[in-house]
Amino acid sequence: MKIFKYSGIALLLAGAMLSSCSKNFLDKPSYGALTENDMATKAGIKVMLIGAYAALDGQAPGNNALGGSGSGWMASPTNWVYGSVAGGDAHKGSESTDQSDINTIAIGQESSTNTFINAKWKAVYEGVTRCNITLRLLRQTKDMTADEKKQVEAECRFLRGHYYFELKKMFNNVPLITDTTTDVMQPNTVNIWPFIEADFTFAMNTLPETQTEVGRANKWAAQIYLAKTLLYEKQYPQAYTLFQGAINAGVTSNGKKYALVPNFEDNFDASKKNGPESVFAVQMTANDGTGSISNANAGDMLNYPYNSPFGCCGFFQPTQDLVNSYRTDSISGLPYIDNYNDPGNVVKNDMKVAADAAFTPDAGYLDPRLDWTVGRRGLPYHDWGLHPGAKWVRDQNSGGPYAGKKMIFWQYNQNLYRDNNSWAPGSAINVVLIRFADVLLMAAECAVETGDLAGAEAYVNQVRGRIADNPASWLHKYVVDTLPLKGFSTTDLAAKYKISRYPDSYFASQDQARKIVYFERKLELATEGHRYFDIARWGQAGADMMNKFYQYENTITTDLVGGIYKVKRNEYFPIPQRQIDLSIKNGKSVLTQNSGY
Amino acid sequence: MKKHFYQALAVLCGLLLLLLGTNVYAQTKITGKVTDKASGNPLPGVTIVIKGTNRGTATDPNGTFSIQAKPGDVLVASFVGFDPKEATVGNGPVSITLSEKVGSLEEVVVTGYASQKKKDLTGAISVVKVDNLTKQPTAQISSQLQGQVSGITVLGSGQPGEEPKVQVRGVNTFGNNTPLYIVDGVPIKSLVDLNPNDVATMQVLKDAGAASIYGARAANGVIIITTKRGTGKVKVSYDAYYGRQVPKGGNVYNTATPLEQGYLAWAAMKNTNLRNPPDQQIPIADAQYGSGPVPVVPDYIAPSGVMNGDPAADPSKYYVNPFYTDPNEVGNFYRISKANKAGTDWFHEIFKPAPITSHNVSVAGGGDIGNYFFSFYYFNQQGTLTNTYNKRYAVRANTNFNVTDHIRVGENMEYSVISNPQIGALTEGSGIGMAFREMPIIPVYDIKGNYAGSGSKGLGNSRNPVAIQDRFGSTKTLANRLLGNVYAEADILKLFTLRTTFGGEIYSFDNHSFTYPEYENAENNSKNSYADNTGNGYDWTWTNTLSFHKNWHNTHDLKVLLGTEAYQDISRTAGGTTNGYFIFDPNFTNLSTGTSTPTNYSGYGENSLWSTFARVDYAYRDKYLLGALIRRDGSSRFGSNNRYGNFPAVSAAWRISQESFMKGLTWISDLKIRGGYGVMGNQINVDPANVFNAFSFNKASSFYPLTGGDLYTGYNQFRIGNPNAKWESNINSNIGIDATLLKGHLEITADYYQKVVKDLLYNPELAGVYGGATVPYSNVAKMKNNGLDLSINGNTMLSKGLKLDVTGTFTTYHNVILAVSNGADYFDSDQRRFGSPIIRNMVGHSISEFYGYKIIGFWNSDAEVKAANDAAKKIYPDLDQYQKDMARGRYRYADINGDGKVDASDRTFLGSPIPKFSYGLNIGLSYKNFDFSMFLYGVYGNKIWNQVSWWTDFYGSFAGAKSKAALYDSWTEDNHNAKLPVQETKSYASTASEPNSYFVQNGSYLRAKNMLLGYTLPSTSLRQLGITKFRVYVQAANVFTITKYKGVDPEITGTTTSFGIDEGAYPSQRQYLLGVNVTF
Repeated sequence: MKIFKYSGIALLLAGAMLSSCSKNFLDKPSYGALTENDMATKAGIKVMLIGAYAALDGQAPGNNALGGSGSGWMASPTNWVYGSVAGGDAHKGSESTDQSDINTIAIGQESSTNTFINAKWKAVYEGVTRCNITLRLLRQTKDMTADEKKQVEAECRFLRGHYYFELKKMFNNVPLITDTTTDVMQPNTVNIWPFIEADFTFAMNTLPETQTEVGRANKWAAQIYLAKTLLYEKQYPQAYTLFQGAINAGVTSNGKKYALVPNFEDNFDASKKNGPESVFAVQMTANDGTGSISNANAGDMLNYPYNSPFGCCGFFQPTQDLVNSYRTDSISGLPYIDNYNDPGNVVKNDMKVAADAAFTPDAGYLDPRLDWTVGRRGLPYHDWGLHPGAKWVRDQNSGGPYAGKKMIFWQYNQNLYRDNNSWAPGSAINVVLIRFADVLLMAAECAVETGDLAGAEAYVNQVRGRIADNPASWLHKYVVDTLPLKGFSTTDLAAKYKISRYPDSYFASQDQARKIVYFERKLELATEGHRYFDIARWGQAGADMMNKFYQYENTITTDLVGGIYKVKRNEYFPIPQRQIDLSIKNGKSVLTQNSGY
Repeated sequence: MKKHFYQALAVLCGLLLLLLGTNVYAQTKITGKVTDKASGNPLPGVTIVIKGTNRGTATDPNGTFSIQAKPGDVLVASFVGFDPKEATVGNGPVSITLSEKVGSLEEVVVTGYASQKKKDLTGAISVVKVDNLTKQPTAQISSQLQGQVSGITVLGSGQPGEEPKVQVRGVNTFGNNTPLYIVDGVPIKSLVDLNPNDVATMQVLKDAGAASIYGARAANGVIIITTKRGTGKVKVSYDAYYGRQVPKGGNVYNTATPLEQGYLAWAAMKNTNLRNPPDQQIPIADAQYGSGPVPVVPDYIAPSGVMNGDPAADPSKYYVNPFYTDPNEVGNFYRISKANKAGTDWFHEIFKPAPITSHNVSVAGGGDIGNYFFSFYYFNQQGTLTNTYNKRYAVRANTNFNVTDHIRVGENMEYSVISNPQIGALTEGSGIGMAFREMPIIPVYDIKGNYAGSGSKGLGNSRNPVAIQDRFGSTKTLANRLLGNVYAEADILKLFTLRTTFGGEIYSFDNHSFTYPEYENAENNSKNSYADNTGNGYDWTWTNTLSFHKNWHNTHDLKVLLGTEAYQDISRTAGGTTNGYFIFDPNFTNLSTGTSTPTNYSGYGENSLWSTFARVDYAYRDKYLLGALIRRDGSSRFGSNNRYGNFPAVSAAWRISQESFMKGLTWISDLKIRGGYGVMGNQINVDPANVFNAFSFNKASSFYPLTGGDLYTGYNQFRIGNPNAKWESNINSNIGIDATLLKGHLEITADYYQKVVKDLLYNPELAGVYGGATVPYSNVAKMKNNGLDLSINGNTMLSKGLKLDVTGTFTTYHNVILAVSNGADYFDSDQRRFGSPIIRNMVGHSISEFYGYKIIGFWNSDAEVKAANDAAKKIYPDLDQYQKDMARGRYRYADINGDGKVDASDRTFLGSPIPKFSYGLNIGLSYKNFDFSMFLYGVYGNKIWNQVSWWTDFYGSFAGAKSKAALYDSWTEDNHNAKLPVQETKSYASTASEPNSYFVQNGSYLRAKNMLLGYTLPSTSLRQLGITKFRVYVQAANVFTITKYKGVDPEITGTTTSFGIDEGAYPSQRQYLLGVNVTF
């Protein structure tokens, strides 16, 4: 009996000890992570804002897209798939079976289940979310002055404006989630242009002209983005005024007066980034110690020539249609806007020419910007050697004979700007979302639409003049073809170049001026991810360009069979089916599909 | 943690002190002898215990024993396989005869925190026949379990050490379905490290009536293992086997020869040109096979397509530095490789015969003061795949001490050391995944003995499988684990037993590997790097129970159990990567010797449970049995709102055979009907951080180079918290029948059950507008399983000395998803290289079903294509095509929804990887000194998604090795009855760029997992040597597999919500073994 009593006591004691501490026993903190209270502080807000910037590149660890669906290249900030491949600047490249979802995007036939568009949607909404969370935490923060808060708010709203602009131009009808939205299951029936305008307007009115770090948005970037918004809304007079103001007085975040850099190719050189032409750029860096290329333009990792010193993967090959566009008249130095694809204007290519067979490049006159945009066989490919043609191309039949050039780093300083921390390279070349040449051409577009044809001419010629006036910046031959690192000749050009400004007579009518401005955008901004959105803005004229493009390019390669651009459909991508399926509220999806899908 | 440890110690010591010192009676030495009733032979090793005490001994080889006892004491003699017998001590020697046990009614079954005789069970509990289990030559207990008990599904692979997927009664969650493993009363995380030779008993608690005592962790089923104890005189056992393992032979991927590959290319290009307009004709040419009218296999593949004598193949031009450190150097390499005109058999270049060795020594013994069991285990299984192996050492020491007649203390402890590098199979990019992609024209090595590869044109972009496996050899792993418990137990007033046990595990592991730069492939990793990954952790469980047992005049029998349990689990990881090594000598490379900036990481995790539980078992006249139990669990994984959950269960049984009206039916020895109902919980899938809105950073995705140079620190919300998540409830009802017939020669157990998983915890994908933060688990999903478990055991003497023992198990279940989330009613996975995913988990269907277009034939003519298009355009004027990419020779898909066109909405469910049923059959025969056994296992009615054929059967899929089927069994104008569509240079939605029913294949199979023939040497001849038993055996495992599946192996695993996709399985290998069992 005694034994029972004592052991019973022992058990009760043990039980009591356990239950008394069980409350704490089951209360575990959050290990290795911070809570909202930690972040709603001055120090927390500072890093949350950087986090909102970090979503600009759309990249997550492991070559994944931010937001949790798909690969990094599906959410590239360059929009090389959605702007350039969809818009006819470039083929998908590689092989037909590789990344086959791009095949349908390239011919305007993507379905709502296409995984690329879903990845892009999610990556950009992660950007929106980061801005909204930062703004929400900002309101709870006690240790910041009203002024400090206003500055953060302005930067945040600039970024949110950018993210929504991306969504708006891609999908048109998107749900609007703000920092005060409590139920994110919002319909996509509200036109969000006014909201984007409001964000950029606030940023424009609040941000300083210069910033301590060049990557931060400034007042002028906000003003230009606001003007771009208005241009997309076709509010030309308002947009024009804002563009003009910025063109005349604007400076970059590091205080440089906006200007075209003398050498066109410097816009795509990692060692010259953040120059006076860079209005707003996604900052990139190489070998940053992360052991990954996430901050080194991983979104373009596939877009290097195949079988080459770059390692992978042979995507993003410029089209013959684009190359032909650079044909210039030997006397006037002007492009053949209407008939650049005529047999007499076609630029000679090495399609179906074996790598070891002889090939002589085109001998006609060309716009020198071609050879800073497109890698052609037999011409210097930066300082990597002469482009060897088929050897660097995975499948000419589907991707054509060319290689892209604008986002390719140089050999001589690759130790600084190349990033080998993945199976395909990264680079420290910034992704310039808006550069000053783009601003001038957007201003020219506004000028045309508001009837200021002289203004339009001046802007277009300013853009052309930069390259026309600086023959030293045109592509030259190597000193020694087999030793590209020895440098370039100062006398021998790589091809015949001719480019001039437009004479006044070309800007006599609004129609012609419009065509010129449209064409100049193609030439100047090719492969920079704008084309498809320009096409959409230009309505029927854009649709005609695309359908002509399909018709012509189908005679060159096999990847665009079935390509067709339908008005009232192809202006926007479909709302990803997965998002429609995931947005059920009261048994019904709150999202409506875009017309035509 | 520390605090609890000391508390445990204190209680333990306290109990010992309190309970020491009971009376010792005057005793004398009693002797006796035990014999076998059937043969009259003496029985050695029989345990003799004085009833009501812990004092005991065992018989010697002559069957005799001696023990301190007094007249009137009752001796209980027990021996494995015999019915126990009691004898009262008189004045002379005691003589006891034992009869061999028939049937298992009296078998003691360990249930949760208690044990019961099998005849008294009310819950659904399967007892594993441990003898059959250990016959499987593997170190994995869970692999051995396959087919041995009904209600359990085991899916594994041939990879040494790979833990198979074990499911008890279907699918209970979308996440981790692993059952709860309890070893000697202590829950452990996995069974991988446990020495199979140490297992004494193993039982599976399948329904709520049995398992709910484990409450929050019971839903996946509970597997209870006890390890061996010693009895009697010192017994030394040595068990060993050695064998050779042979990979599957033949052309396993049906790969075409280099010449056939060329002909296929020519056919595909010609077929493509037939379709293309005249101005888009592609040249019939290939970088390797030339441009002639027929393909020509070149003499050299690097440089591409070069013939003998070509200056390009001049060996003096050769330059490859396999250990280059400058990534730019690889561009300057000049490779020269001859073509392997006969074709390289890549599968057998990486899969080779390999040895397997197992040694196990145990020493056991015991007496009235206690018992001990000690074992040492060495196991070394080399994988048939190069550089995979599982090497382990384990030591176990189990000791139990009888402090007094009423107080027992003891411990069970195992320490194991394991080295087991594993590859990731069933996925793109592994060495196996490349074995069917690397073209056979590529030799293993180039002219200078460096690796050859796809690095020249026309060879695709696959990687050399031999190089992958050779380089994988740099992966070294080492894991240690100490596992065990200590306990103290005291009987109080004969009716109560108080028990406290403290146990758990401490483990650590380290894996490191070196990534070599590649030079031979089309796409090379040019970076060298070293990675280290290490971790350690421990968990402990402290359990205190008080049990009561009283029997009133054999009429009422009552057992009551009360208990508390605390559990804590702590883990830590750390690791890093560095690159930029000048030399790759493994003695030099470590995290500190790389020249680039190292990356590092570490992590810490902790979770705990606090539980109280009670159980009552009541029996009336051993006829009406009733069990009731309840457990209340608190978990740190849930917020304070819903931290505690209650898990009750009731069960009852009626032993009809005990009724008087059944007494006349002599062929029925025992018949019992059981029923149970209860709730089980599940929480393991929920991350301990689930409740928190957590903010953190990742340098790759939240840091930002604000000035285009250095990174600036940035944060983001990486986890959305859910403070309201609560327990999921697995509501289980079970009805079963146990029958023992023909005096125990036939035993049948059948159970039918239903499980509804309510509030199923799932982290469904959220809409993009939520952002990309980790989605919390919430109680949104619902699922149902029902099924039938059946097992039959029969044994008989066929003739004198020839004994047959047969055990059959049958398992079938039906799983249906009832809800997925508040939004979507499905979630997909595994898109692989397709335009849309292969697997859809959808409401109304079972888990992991294959999804895609259903093929109903081919488009055999342009007229058929046109007719379909015309008809569709009448309904949809804007429609381009009735079916995307439709054309002559391509697949025709079914218009499932009948809307007159084929599009994404016509995708349908194409089959399930869940078998309709699975079965196992153990056949044992013994004749005199010979014993023979065979084990057959099979599954029926499941489907496999053969993703390998996506790579090999379609020329238009990624460039690489193709199959003979692609050449000989594809659609042509002359062959409309083919399996494959017309071969073309591209892949289309109507051929292979969308998932379709071509890839779904019958996965049923029957496998002879084991055949064994043993011979036991006559004991008389060995006795002089001190050997009690000497048995030798020969064995063959995985002798044959009967299946229609065309892949390498029909056993295809995966994750819970996505399995059955074969993209390069590690097949199980045939094993030939020679073994011995010796007892001293």
